[in-house]
Amino acid sequence: MKILLVDDEQKFVNMLAKRLALRGIEADVAYTGEEALKKAESAVYDVAVLDIKMPGISGTQLKRKLFTLHPSLNFIFVTGHGAVEKSEADGSEKDIYLSKPLDIDFLIETVQELTQTR
Amino acid sequence: MLKIFQDFLKRLWPEFYRHRTNVHLTSFYTFTNYRYLWFISISVLAATALAPICIATLIYYQLIETSVDSDLNHRTKQLTVAARSAVTFFMEERLNALTFTVNENGYEQLTSNTRLAEILKNLKLGFGGVTDLSVLDADGNQVAYAGPFNLEGKNYKNQSWFEQSLKQTNYISEVFTGYRDVPHIIITVRSAKPDGSSFILRATLDTERLMQTLSSYKTGDYADIFLVNHEGTLQTPSIHYGSIFTPTNLIFPAGSDESEVMEIILDGKSIISGHSSISRDLTSTPFTLMVLKEKAGMMKFWQDMSFKFNWIMGASVIVILIVITFASTFMVNKLYRADKAKAETMMQMEQSQQLASIGQLAAGVAHEINNPLAVINQTAGYMKDLFSFKDQARNDDEIVEYIDSILDAVDRCGTITRQLLGFVRQFDVKIKKVNLQKLISQVLSFHKKEAEYRRIHVTVSIPESFPELETDSSKFQQVLVNLINNAFQAVEEGNCLDIMASQLSPDTIELVIHDTGCGIPEENLKKIHEPFFSTKKNGSGTGLGLSITYGLVKKLGGRISVQSTEGVGTSFTIHLPVKINEGRKA
Repeated sequence: MKILLVDDEQKFVNMLAKRLALRGIEADVAYTGEEALKKAESAVYDVAVLDIKMPGISGTQLKRKLFTLHPSLNFIFVTGHGAVEKSEADGSEKDIYLSKPLDIDFLIETVQELTQTR
Repeated sequence: MLKIFQDFLKRLWPEFYRHRTNVHLTSFYTFTNYRYLWFISISVLAATALAPICIATLIYYQLIETSVDSDLNHRTKQLTVAARSAVTFFMEERLNALTFTVNENGYEQLTSNTRLAEILKNLKLGFGGVTDLSVLDADGNQVAYAGPFNLEGKNYKNQSWFEQSLKQTNYISEVFTGYRDVPHIIITVRSAKPDGSSFILRATLDTERLMQTLSSYKTGDYADIFLVNHEGTLQTPSIHYGSIFTPTNLIFPAGSDESEVMEIILDGKSIISGHSSISRDLTSTPFTLMVLKEKAGMMKFWQDMSFKFNWIMGASVIVILIVITFASTFMVNKLYRADKAKAETMMQMEQSQQLASIGQLAAGVAHEINNPLAVINQTAGYMKDLFSFKDQARNDDEIVEYIDSILDAVDRCGTITRQLLGFVRQFDVKIKKVNLQKLISQVLSFHKKEAEYRRIHVTVSIPESFPELETDSSKFQQVLVNLINNAFQAVEEGNCLDIMASQLSPDTIELVIHDTGCGIPEENLKKIHEPFFSTKKNGSGTGLGLSITYGLVKKLGGRISVQSTEGVGTSFTIHLPVKINEGRKA
């Protein structure tokens, strides 16, 4: 299982990647939407964890682009805004929204659920 | 009956008089002093309505008084003139008769007692009032006499009237008693004997006849007519001054023919007095005619009338005042109610605006805090992972403990920011049918043990006809949980918690959650809906519960209000639509 973490909060994603690695989950880190797209071209991911508000390409825009590259990709949105308007997040039922600060065990649980239902 | 009276008083006694100033509302009122407004309204209306009436009344009285006065003066003068001519005529008639007798008979015949007695008899028949006749020579000796008194041979030389008689052709004396001890008047006519010396024919008039003449002019009980001489001595009896010969201060200059009328004060009574001296063309008499009329008596008719008039005026003034008071109370009450409603609405608006702006600010702040929190969270988590996964300091419990406390703190911060965001965030409304009874018992089931343990009496009264609500069930549940939690925190052991629901109209329901707990101090009442306002110590509450509730109720299309008395209890009243407005869905 391989996860792509995208967030402009560098320390946050770095730490998250390291902790996931400790738990045996491989995670790649991208600080911007462009970087994420580059990485997605060269590798295949099961789940993408995206911050909604980022400078440049926003989380929702990035999702649409990644979706065209990999239609099978699962998405988890992370936001500092408790919860997100569905309309803002493109209204797809299977998308999952998590709020910051993020509990790592809950994240792993969610990721596992997503990949298993596939 | 008593109730009607109380209602009446309530109506008359304006609502704003019972108004207790609410510090928070004061600034929204257009008028601050309603009592003053009321007072001014009544005063201005009363002044405008009553001033013309008062002025008219005053003018009316003044006119009446002037006209009554002049009328009274005029009538007194007329009476004086009439009585004067009567008295003058009385004297003149007798004097002329005497003059005729002297000229007709001559000295020789007059000195014959039989002839004189005959003349006296004729005079009595013709004119009346003549008591006796006598003839005196120039030395005052009585030459002849006819009459009831035996006065023959008397000498009158030293009497003052005799001296006066000799000087004038004719003479009229004052009233006096003389030798006979009966009040009488003497009239004399001087003439000449054939030898050229003077002789005098004297007639005595009794005053009875004169008094009859005078009293025939008395009209009513309030008039007094009498004669005085030039020294002010009464010549006929008077009602006011007493019997004949009583001295008075009524002294008038002799000789004025004019009748004069004036107002005097006698024994504390106001009296119109007319006087006129009785005089003839040739001889003046010593008499002044007095006419006195009591003003009060004459005014009686007018006083009776003004008494009735005053009654009518007084009654209408009272009616006017009552109507004015009613009208003013009604108007100021209306104004007050409108103003009160306006102030309350403005306060609510200000409150909701405040809440909205605070909410927006809070959302921004929460968002900004959540990112660094996430970093702290992950960093601390990684540190913990390092210890637990890499065996580096697995046994160093102290460090693990510290990291745990950091994570705990982050967790708490996260809870607060989430709650804060919940205050403004917008979910999709999931509308469901809600059975209030079920929902309340669900919420209460969490507190069942607590209620038993603290002996709190919980009563729920919902009428059977209560409709099922169509509303956002999760939000509504959140509202109920918050309010019931609050109530449980406010009450002490043995207190009551009442939940009452009722249907106000086909479209609205009311839910009251009442506790007999500690109450909320008035200064806190305004703040309880503000985020972060908490009275709980040591941060055991976030201060968001009620502000979230407030926001939730608004989203449900309802409104919430609080009534609380410190130490007595608190009631939260929620009004909700039976079916949530479709427009509020988003």
